[in-house]
Amino acid sequence: MTVQLPPNSDGDPVLAAGPQTHVTLPAPAIELINAARWYGNVVAVNDVSFSLGAGVTGLLGPNGAGKTTVLHMLAGFLAPSAGTVHVLGRSPNRDPSVYRQIGLVPEREAVYPFLTGLDYVRFNARLQGLTNSDQASRDAIRRVGLEDAMDRPIGTYSKGMRQRAKVAGALVHDPQVLLLDEPFNGMDPRQRLAMMDLLTEMAAAGRTILFSSHILEEVERVGNDILVMVAGRLAASGDYRAIRALMTDRPHTITIRSSDDRRLAASLMGDSAIFGVELGAAGLSVRTAHLSVFRRLIAGASRSAGVRLFEVVSGDESLESVFDYLVRR
Amino acid sequence: MMFTRSVAAIPLIVQITLRQLLGRRRTVLLLLLAGVPVLLAIVFRAANDADVAGFATGVLDAVAVTLLLPIVAVLFGTAAFGAEIEDGTILYLLAKPISRWAVVAAKYLGAVGVTTLLTVASVLVAGAIEMGPLGEEGAAATRAFMAAMLVGSFGYVAVFLTLSLFTRRALLIGLVYVLVWEGALSTLLPGIANLSIRQFSLGVANAFWQMAPDEARLTPSTALPLAIILVVVALVLAAWKLMRFELPGGTD
Repeated sequence: MTVQLPPNSDGDPVLAAGPQTHVTLPAPAIELINAARWYGNVVAVNDVSFSLGAGVTGLLGPNGAGKTTVLHMLAGFLAPSAGTVHVLGRSPNRDPSVYRQIGLVPEREAVYPFLTGLDYVRFNARLQGLTNSDQASRDAIRRVGLEDAMDRPIGTYSKGMRQRAKVAGALVHDPQVLLLDEPFNGMDPRQRLAMMDLLTEMAAAGRTILFSSHILEEVERVGNDILVMVAGRLAASGDYRAIRALMTDRPHTITIRSSDDRRLAASLMGDSAIFGVELGAAGLSVRTAHLSVFRRLIAGASRSAGVRLFEVVSGDESLESVFDYLVRR
Repeated sequence: MMFTRSVAAIPLIVQITLRQLLGRRRTVLLLLLAGVPVLLAIVFRAANDADVAGFATGVLDAVAVTLLLPIVAVLFGTAAFGAEIEDGTILYLLAKPISRWAVVAAKYLGAVGVTTLLTVASVLVAGAIEMGPLGEEGAAATRAFMAAMLVGSFGYVAVFLTLSLFTRRALLIGLVYVLVWEGALSTLLPGIANLSIRQFSLGVANAFWQMAPDEARLTPSTALPLAIILVVVALVLAAWKLMRFELPGGTD
């Protein structure tokens, strides 16, 4: 996400020297510089900086991390209390003309229930001033796979269908920047994959797409680049796989109840994936760095020791604790 | 480009607003309320009570102008934006490349439209039933109160629509304003007439049918400019506020 100049043949970075090597970098589509937003004494977003160009980026974080606040600042519906927020080089706040280039899918579910899906998308197209609003609306409906239901009132839609109608309404004018707040909420896995493909396709066509999610797996398929927010701050940013590895390779504590905790402990101790075991009143506590290895190990260990497992609980699997770990690193 | 787009958006938003306002249960309630002056007219007629001034003061003023008009206006006026802010659909209007004054204008026209339709029709029907047989004076009084409903709709809706952009308790504050300020205080303190939408309405009605001076305190030439100033100021304020519209945040 940071712009780097290519090295020259000596391996040194090329520096802009003299008029003949003048390098102009395209302005990022989305740019936050030390952006902050607070409400009275509550800080929702604190000193966040990042810039994004074409591509899909996932904005990941637990509930209350400030994701929606960032998206609302980018959408022009919240002025930053400090710092700068730019979309396509302009401040989106108090400038409705910027919405010709921005598509917004808000988290709130409500859509005019009395309109049909097609009417809703067409309403968006007309407010955008599109001359071919009917054709553009039908195209948008097709892209989100809502053709079968487009003549039904939105009031009869499932949550996932409403979500797709919202997306169709937001992309009908082919915006340069698409902002989506928890777009996969309420979608079934198949719809989710289709939506992810659509976003990837738009990104390949040069659009800048930022979507928020509190579910790590949702980011997996689309977002090569992710931003992780925790407690109003940007905790990590970069390649999804690198951050994912950080998240999964952290120490885990697992509590086990079995027919014979002591015997199971002895059997587990020999493996290098296990850092430590502790016998306690609540059961056996095991610490490991690799959850997937542990899952395979515990089955074999209990079998060979002749111990029956009653319960295996991973104590710190909540997303909050994962993010918390990332911040402390 | 922005201007043409904004003007073209107005009828679209009016249409959405009408469907929102009329698709609600409150419409049925308001229709029943609008039926009250009509019902009273039928009662008066059945009793063969042929008194223009009596019906005008006792029903058209006391019921239609004093109660029906502000209640219909406060419900439609505050709901035009209030309902959309409440459920978040307002974003579908605001995240568009159209000027915010156009959104205000469209919401206003939608709310004024239904308010006028309901209140003017109520007076028209009630007046025709009771005062139709009473000749020219009855017709003049009916016209006067239809004009009052028209002016009142524009005035009240402008104020309540703007109020709903400043507070989520617009409905409550609006009702208190109607009952306390317009109801109680303006009867006790005649000076309030210059700041009362009810008096603006009755003042304009005076042009069609002369009312008692303690009922309508303003002349048409004072009332109409005051009503227009009020509407313009309220709508400019609404557009100013909508330009600064922020989403309630902090909860993520």
